[in-house]
Amino acid sequence: MTERPAPAKLELLVRRDDESFEVREVGSALGFIQSRPQRGAEGSFEVSEVRSSVAAERSFILKSAATERFLVLSEPEKFLWEQMDGNTSLQEIATAYVLRYGEFDFDIIPNLIRKLQRARLLTLEPKSRLRQALARNRGQRVAKAVEATLTSLERINLSSRRVQSVFQRLHRWGGFVLFTRAAVVACLAFGVIGGVAAVALMRALDDVFSGFGGRALLGVLAVKLLFFASVALHQLVHGLACVHYRRRVREFGFAFLHGFVPTFYVDVTDIFMATRRARVVTAVSGTLVHLVLGAVAFLVAAHAPVGSFTQAFAVASGIIQWQALALSLYPFCFIEMDGYHVFVDLLGVPTLKHDAVSYVKALLRGRERLRWGRLEALWLAYVGLSSLSIAAFLAFNVWIVVSAVS
Amino acid sequence: MRAPADLLRFLRDVRLFTRFAEPELIALAESLHERRLRKNQLLFREGDPGDEMFIVRQGAVLVSKAIRGRVEQVLDHVRPADFFGEMSLLDGSPRSATVQAEADATLLALDRVGLQRLTDTNPRAAAAFFHALVHVFIERLRRSTHQVAEATRWGLEATGLDVESR
Repeated sequence: MTERPAPAKLELLVRRDDESFEVREVGSALGFIQSRPQRGAEGSFEVSEVRSSVAAERSFILKSAATERFLVLSEPEKFLWEQMDGNTSLQEIATAYVLRYGEFDFDIIPNLIRKLQRARLLTLEPKSRLRQALARNRGQRVAKAVEATLTSLERINLSSRRVQSVFQRLHRWGGFVLFTRAAVVACLAFGVIGGVAAVALMRALDDVFSGFGGRALLGVLAVKLLFFASVALHQLVHGLACVHYRRRVREFGFAFLHGFVPTFYVDVTDIFMATRRARVVTAVSGTLVHLVLGAVAFLVAAHAPVGSFTQAFAVASGIIQWQALALSLYPFCFIEMDGYHVFVDLLGVPTLKHDAVSYVKALLRGRERLRWGRLEALWLAYVGLSSLSIAAFLAFNVWIVVSAVS
Repeated sequence: MRAPADLLRFLRDVRLFTRFAEPELIALAESLHERRLRKNQLLFREGDPGDEMFIVRQGAVLVSKAIRGRVEQVLDHVRPADFFGEMSLLDGSPRSATVQAEADATLLALDRVGLQRLTDTNPRAAAAFFHALVHVFIERLRRSTHQVAEATRWGLEATGLDVESR
């Protein structure tokens, strides 16, 4: 194990008024506590509070206007941030912290400073476990080849950061209609009518899927392709919602998530600085695309000849669209989809997944004791429900494929 | 005038002269001038002209370089049998650092005339002198490199700059 070196020291000579002088050794730690950090000038950042009905502490979102990245700050971290005016030394800031909170966490200041210095803030790229495992096994030819392939795919990124004006025009030319009451009523109507049609079709599912005939696999692939196109629409509506609330769409594009999941994406993180209503509407509006498309598919299937390819294709599309709707809105699946964001926003616990997974891991490894506070119960519920949900999701999809193919 | 025996004994301990024969040491001693410094007394400042190098015979001196205002960075503490100031002796450039006595000190100065005499009259001794000098330069270069790295580490630690994650 590498031993951590002792803090660096500088030997300085300080002259006095007469001929004499003094030699002082100044450790880097002293330099650190006497430094006077200065936060950006007014206007270079925005702070927005995340209200919580569960977490005992308030939390805040700090946005850097320069890098357009975001940080989640706890209440004590926000207090420290406010002290960093360029005139107050870290030593004085630490003193102020103790006076306010009656205790001192030795890691909080260095950690916060690191976070702020990065203020290219958070890296939003997920680090794939698969990639980590492949990197560990580069010695094996297969792993190396797979890693090289994934790396090549990851490099494929068709995106643009100059999309704000496009989304603004789309919004002006009719996109705003999606955010009216009429649109909400229409969505609900589609949901009800599509649901009625779906229930009727499910009663004769075997007959419906027989329409694929010998082209079941082709049908499933076509359904997946159509669904893939609808994901672009989903992202487009997120962007329109963001613009509707006068925030900026930073990027829109296509990439291979983790190197193998082709996906469209839109960066609407600027909506964090808007109201909670705006955040919820932005998150939910994209998913409603699947509600409407699914309903349309079920209606088409209901009017198609029984046992025809069209009917089978439409039902499969309807199922996959509504499954996407459920998956997007369902917060318990370890994936931070739209429903998860709405859920954590409503509860005011923006780091729920991370905290929950860390807590359960620590429990399983015996590093943490079982506690029954509100937060701990939420963490356990999140991990439990997510695990069950993923198992159910996998089982459902196996059933769908088996039904379609057989 | 013959050099005192204790001076010759001292010179034998100086790294630059360890390979000098007795007659060469005696000739060298005749070229050296003694300088005495009181504690805190300045010998020269950074930027002053100079054409001498000094060997500390007794006491200690401090070598420092100006940083800002009254603050200087200490580069070295020079103890007995060690030497400094050779850069200006060799290339005639202004002093690159300030030197002052840390305690009462006695120095032996070798100027350009003395060095020239050594080269002219004792080429073998001069070669040994320059050979030893190169070795000391290499050591000092290594030490300077280490000091730069340490100063950089100090800066990173003092600012808490997280370079690894950038």
